[in-house]
Amino acid sequence: MTTPASNTGGQQPSPPTGQTSAQAGGSIRDRLQSPRSSDQASGSGNTRESDLRENGFQQSNSVADLHAGGRGESQYDSSKTPQVTAEQELAGRKHPLGPEDAKSAERKVSALFLLSFLGVVGFVLTFFLVDNDYASSTRYLYTPLLGTFLALALAGVGAGAVLWAKLLMVDEEAVQERHPFGSPKDERSSTAQALKKGLEETGLPRRSLLRNTLLLGAGSLALLPVPFLFGLGRFQHKERVLATTAWREGVRLIRQNGTPVRLGDLQVGAIESVFPDVEHGTKIADSPTLLIRMRPEELQVVEGREDWSVDGHIAYSSICTHLGCPVKLYEQQTHHLFCPCHQSTFAANEGCKVVFGPAARPLPQLAISVDEEGYFYAQGDFDEAVGPSYWERDT
Amino acid sequence: MSLLEKGTDAGAVWVDDRLGSSNFVRRSLNKVFPDHWSFMLGEVALYSFVILLLSGTYLSFFYTPSLSEVVYDGSYVPLKGVTMTQAYASTLDISFDVRGGLIMRQIHHWSALLFMASIVVHLMRVFFTGAFRKPREINWIIGVTLLVLGIAEGFAGYSLPDDLLSGTGLRIAYSIALSIPVIGTWAAFLVFGGEYPGVAILDRLYSAHILLLPGLILGLITFHMMMIWYQKHTQFAGPGRTEDNVVGSRFFPSYAAKAGGFFFLVFAVVAALGGLAQINPVWLYGPYDASQVSAGSQPDWYVGFLDGSTRLMPNWEIAGFGYTVPLNVMVPTVVLPGILFTLLALYPFIEARFTGDRDYHNLLDRPRDVPVRTAIGTMSIAFYVLLMIGGGNDVIASVFHLSINTISRVLQVSLFVVPPIVYFATKRVCLALQRSDDELVHHGIESGTIRRLPSGEFVEETVPLPAVYRISLTGVESDRPELEGATAHGAEGQSKGPGYGDEHVVENAPERVPGFFRGKRRSGPSDTSAPRPEGAMPELERSGKPAPPE
Repeated sequence: MTTPASNTGGQQPSPPTGQTSAQAGGSIRDRLQSPRSSDQASGSGNTRESDLRENGFQQSNSVADLHAGGRGESQYDSSKTPQVTAEQELAGRKHPLGPEDAKSAERKVSALFLLSFLGVVGFVLTFFLVDNDYASSTRYLYTPLLGTFLALALAGVGAGAVLWAKLLMVDEEAVQERHPFGSPKDERSSTAQALKKGLEETGLPRRSLLRNTLLLGAGSLALLPVPFLFGLGRFQHKERVLATTAWREGVRLIRQNGTPVRLGDLQVGAIESVFPDVEHGTKIADSPTLLIRMRPEELQVVEGREDWSVDGHIAYSSICTHLGCPVKLYEQQTHHLFCPCHQSTFAANEGCKVVFGPAARPLPQLAISVDEEGYFYAQGDFDEAVGPSYWERDT
Repeated sequence: MSLLEKGTDAGAVWVDDRLGSSNFVRRSLNKVFPDHWSFMLGEVALYSFVILLLSGTYLSFFYTPSLSEVVYDGSYVPLKGVTMTQAYASTLDISFDVRGGLIMRQIHHWSALLFMASIVVHLMRVFFTGAFRKPREINWIIGVTLLVLGIAEGFAGYSLPDDLLSGTGLRIAYSIALSIPVIGTWAAFLVFGGEYPGVAILDRLYSAHILLLPGLILGLITFHMMMIWYQKHTQFAGPGRTEDNVVGSRFFPSYAAKAGGFFFLVFAVVAALGGLAQINPVWLYGPYDASQVSAGSQPDWYVGFLDGSTRLMPNWEIAGFGYTVPLNVMVPTVVLPGILFTLLALYPFIEARFTGDRDYHNLLDRPRDVPVRTAIGTMSIAFYVLLMIGGGNDVIASVFHLSINTISRVLQVSLFVVPPIVYFATKRVCLALQRSDDELVHHGIESGTIRRLPSGEFVEETVPLPAVYRISLTGVESDRPELEGATAHGAEGQSKGPGYGDEHVVENAPERVPGFFRGKRRSGPSDTSAPRPEGAMPELERSGKPAPPE
């Protein structure tokens, strides 16, 4: 901030009129390739630069000076600006349009405002008169019509106001000085002094007992919300809650509609979502399980789990070990289970080991058996926590 | 005196008698705002927030944030008789039984997408033009905070309908909270009230979504605007524009009319989208069911980069001593965004640390003039875009019939390879553009007129750059060289700070490429060998040739 531009106008060379006038925006070469004459620029309302040049960048300030007259501190740079009367000023502010064009511009803007009114009328009529009942044939039209009329109503006022500002309001460049942000040195030091003095008066620097007890008292106030935070959740036995599901020994495998699954219900290559046959069993978020049937010879049983599957029927937790999405997409040929959320892929015939994707652990396997009536039941809960990993998870 | 004038007069007197606000009002009306299309991006964000408040208020009259179950009996036939939560049922009611409810819901969703998009693009504008530099660092931090709050607010919002998609998103959020070491299970249980899904999450999300977060956002936006008002907007270099002034149109009437009109135009676009373009058709997804998920499940776009990082992360997990650290979840969803947003918020200070630049800056940089910053920006965008693509890898795989495994592997490698390439390419392009600008400033515009010298040599005539362009390019108001060093933008040859030394200056770059990290100011045409008087500049024709004298 070394040069306070007290007179920007003075530094601005005043080129002769009728020069290439610039249009804001676009690359320089684009602008150079399509130079506009001053007249053309005026016609399109882009009179910024040309006005600026013709008026030597000063005249535009004078409006502000008129406004600022009589004010203690002038916000605008008026030191070097010749004083002009209002009439001179108004004459000097070149109206962008001639009277004919201004009239036509006014008509255009008014037409847009009128469009708004029509949009509102259309919106209200549609809102109340068009039938939006799901059974009616016009329901497909209801929302699109509302949207169209609402957009027309809003765009009319919006475009009208912008066009109004561009065509009919005097388009002038105003200049305003910036105030430096840093306060003067003496200002700063006296503020610092006041702060120090006030601090001195409180006695805090001297009275250490007061200070320390205040710190303790106010500091402990800050801890008050913590008990309330604990009130937000039920944390009792959270590790056990996370590690267990609703599966228990002897609980039957039921479908989402509540019917139990029987040996022979599934064809080879078929898959079924199964749930524990307990109260709200199909609603419990950590218990959904997949029952898959493949040919027994295709199944490579994991060591120690020889009696966990029945005749090619094998059950895995459906909850992805990555982020808990239900894994359900099964590829018969490869025996791959695929999670649609983050594409973790598990090999169902090899203990659901991870073959691709961000999941780190196999899907937990549920040990199943068949009772004398032929229905599947669980031998117990999963032997590890299902779903995503967490800090206290003991692997 | 017309009735309008009389009324204005009487009203102003009435208010001033009570508030003494005349001076303040006049100064406000006369406040100057610089014009540039890119300054409207932040306006779009502001206006979409206003639309969000309006449409959201209407929706809150009909929505019930409850997980208790009801049997649907609304007019949407395919779901009649299905058991669902009240939250989902009330969302269906808004969509099918409330008059104008669907368009309001869709306007709300579209304006949320637009809100986030305009924040991001506005942030890029501020970044690439260096508008965050002193004295505007506070506003930058507020802006970054608004971006983060916006993501949280958007996520809370699209989780409310409790459809299959949003319920899946909530479960993922819960699992992410679980992944944090030591406090993860506490955090997850605290937010959800217990093991997923708990009973409390929708009520909590609802009060966060309609009170807590919008309140914070509204407060910060107000502060953001007050800072802009108080510090005055930055501007690009141009005729009459210096570090110490603002050149533009006055707030009233011209700027107010344009800005007000622009609000309605933004609203019109959102209304048209809300009426004509379907968004989040929750009735097609069905109610949430922990055992169901649709293929191609995707979050709203502004969460997409986190979904992408999650998909591309290798499946690392550390386990031992009875504890588990799921790096595969924690790194891409907690650590990565933490680092990214911290770096983003601190960027003004990081840059100032490296450049040693402690000056005030009110004139904006052209991105090409600060190649390192621009390259850092494009590099970051490349990284972000790759993550976004990763978030859609399943859609890309199914649309283009590609292997999803291949796409993921390629993206994993690209995340580390592409950003550096983009960095160096951007830097080279910036330097080349600087040289091309220098060409224009020092030698003028190619006129297309070839002249043959008596010696037989062919030379091309060039036309000096008109002052308007020269000033925009160089920021140098005068062609008197002694004034150049006096511009506040920093004299050339100042230390560029550690890490930005000579090794970045390529061999064939002439010494008149001084700006690298900090905005540079090129010299005016006065030091060219053949200066021309300003008045002798001929007008140019469409082809760029000088027009024949009249």
